[in-house]
Amino acid sequence: MTALGKLVRTTAFKLTLVYLVVFAAFAASLLGYFAWNTRRLITEQITETVDAEIRGLAEQYNQGGIRRLVLIIERRSRQPGSSLYLVTTPTGEGLAGNVGSLEPGVLDAAGWREAAYRRHEETAEAAEHVALMRVFVLPGGFRLLVGRDIIERERVRDVIAQAARWSIALVIVLGLAGGFFVTRRVLKRVDAMTDTTQTIMTGDLGGRLPVAGTGDELDRLASHLNAMLARIETLMHGLKQVSDNIAHDLKTPLTRLRNRCEAALRNARGEADYRAALEATIEESDELIRTFNALLMIARAESGQARENMDTVDAAEIVQGVVELYEPLAEENGVTLRGETPAPALVRGNRELLSQALANLIDNAIKYAKPQAPTEAAPREIVVATQGEADRVLLSVADRGPGIPEADRGRVVERFFRLEQSRSEPGSGLGLSLVSAVARLHGGELGFEDNRPGLKAVLALPRATSPDRERTG
Amino acid sequence: MGPGNSLHSSESRDSPVAMRLLIIEDDADAADYLVKAFREVGHVADHAADGEEGLALALEGGYDVLIVDRMLPKRDGLTLIGMLRAKQVDTPVLILSALGEVDDRVKGLRAGGDDYLPKPYAFSELLARVEVLARRRGGRNEDTVYRVGDLELDRLSHRVSRGDTEIVLQPREFRLLEYLMRHAGQVVTRTMLLENVWDYHFDPQTNVIDVHISRLRSKIDKGFTQPLLHTVRGAGYMLRDGAR
Repeated sequence: MTALGKLVRTTAFKLTLVYLVVFAAFAASLLGYFAWNTRRLITEQITETVDAEIRGLAEQYNQGGIRRLVLIIERRSRQPGSSLYLVTTPTGEGLAGNVGSLEPGVLDAAGWREAAYRRHEETAEAAEHVALMRVFVLPGGFRLLVGRDIIERERVRDVIAQAARWSIALVIVLGLAGGFFVTRRVLKRVDAMTDTTQTIMTGDLGGRLPVAGTGDELDRLASHLNAMLARIETLMHGLKQVSDNIAHDLKTPLTRLRNRCEAALRNARGEADYRAALEATIEESDELIRTFNALLMIARAESGQARENMDTVDAAEIVQGVVELYEPLAEENGVTLRGETPAPALVRGNRELLSQALANLIDNAIKYAKPQAPTEAAPREIVVATQGEADRVLLSVADRGPGIPEADRGRVVERFFRLEQSRSEPGSGLGLSLVSAVARLHGGELGFEDNRPGLKAVLALPRATSPDRERTG
Repeated sequence: MGPGNSLHSSESRDSPVAMRLLIIEDDADAADYLVKAFREVGHVADHAADGEEGLALALEGGYDVLIVDRMLPKRDGLTLIGMLRAKQVDTPVLILSALGEVDDRVKGLRAGGDDYLPKPYAFSELLARVEVLARRRGGRNEDTVYRVGDLELDRLSHRVSRGDTEIVLQPREFRLLEYLMRHAGQVVTRTMLLENVWDYHFDPQTNVIDVHISRLRSKIDKGFTQPLLHTVRGAGYMLRDGAR
């Protein structure tokens, strides 16, 4: 596409053309109205003065007869100007006046007409003029013609027509120039954007569209697109991290699995050995599936897909449910698990995901906060609480375990991150990443506080704005 | 139970009734494995490799349970179920799917499926669920009093007793026992309990269910010579009157 072709195809240029036509039509109609009105005014003026003159001359005729009229007409005819006079006998022979020749038939009837004429002194070759004239039949059959040359009117018309031509030409020239200018400016910025998107499409996700800083619609578009690109980059980065982690953390158990099978093939001495190896293999693959499911779930929560399946749910009910599920397990581990839900706390969310997040937190708390020595006097306590704030609902799981060193608090939500001291405990290292992903999906966040002593994990969720009629729970 | 037998064998069941199953699954290996595995535990399983064939076979009737893969060639699983239901075929359907998300399961059940099991699954889990589905047609839900041996549960008055002893249960323990008794003589898996008693569909990593079961067991079996609540190794639990 040529540069001009590209320019002509732009929206801005097409808009320019539309405006051009509109403005030209406007100018033309304005001038047309002006011309029509001027013509009307001039015509009115001529008719008025001619009428007055005829009235005066008719009076002179009535008082002094044809002789006096002829005298007056002759005197007036000699004065320079655009006035026309002619007095004829009833048969049409000229008695006095400055009209040399007329269109035939003008004098036949009384009344107004516009007709071509020549003055006395003009030769036949000279161009005919047009005049607006009135023929008046005097008592006695004499005809009196008074008129005005309308060259002035024609001249005004010409001036207006000229003005119209110029102004329309000017509108077109200015409009096109302006259109070209605006279009080129817009086109340059759009081209810059297209170039950037091209580099982004070739794989450089770090590219951003230029923002001119004028705050206009293109800038708004660019910054929105940039926000979108940032989100895509984060997602892509997350995806890459997930695949890296999958590669790393799924390959390890897969290798273990494979080694075990090989060892069994090599060393097994009987059915019992094979059976043991197979059972261990199934166990290991179940663990793999569990890790895989957790990863998928995190990815899904982070992609925001689950947002469609949200209802208004009562966080207190969710807490009670999960506490009730884990209470026997806690007791078996020498911990008391207690729910503190003073009032319903409505949040917009997914009951399954929130329950699972809480379950993960409680599971962690039980795992890490159980008494180290069975001789400990009082059972340790885990408190799961809901607390309503102005616009948030806090779900907290507080234990009396060793806690997390402050420096590590940000990192525990990373996938597969495990504290040194917890590496010996079973677990995929995905529990808290899942909780964090669930929190983000709900527009909230997961934080950790010092429970002095122990750890308090706080899931802060935005309060539901308007309770739905439908409740799941 | 033989040592190390990870599937519960038919001899451990209350009354082994052979089921006729139809497996609609396009993966030939998986289908083959299922057909053999069901045959080993005494059931008859047919196999259809695509949606068209599956629909035709299912419409002929005579099956106790249909096992339908969600993604099938020619006609996908959910449409197939919809067409069966539209033709008033109410054979219980268990949907197998690689899509294991909560909303996928909801979609599957809404389409007319009776149960949903995400892949990969343990055969013991599938078997337990299929047996429960087959039995569901018997209509045990209408009973107001469940009895297993000398254990009695009254669903209306919420009273539980064993012999002459009144047993006091927490509400959740009551629901757990109610579910176990409704499916007495059948294996129920931990996942089935979590889904049906607690209405959770996630994997709680730790076996929280086991602790609930041992609590319940201490209430209904402790002090009685004949245990009723049995652990089925590698599968789940079963409430059964061992004296019979």
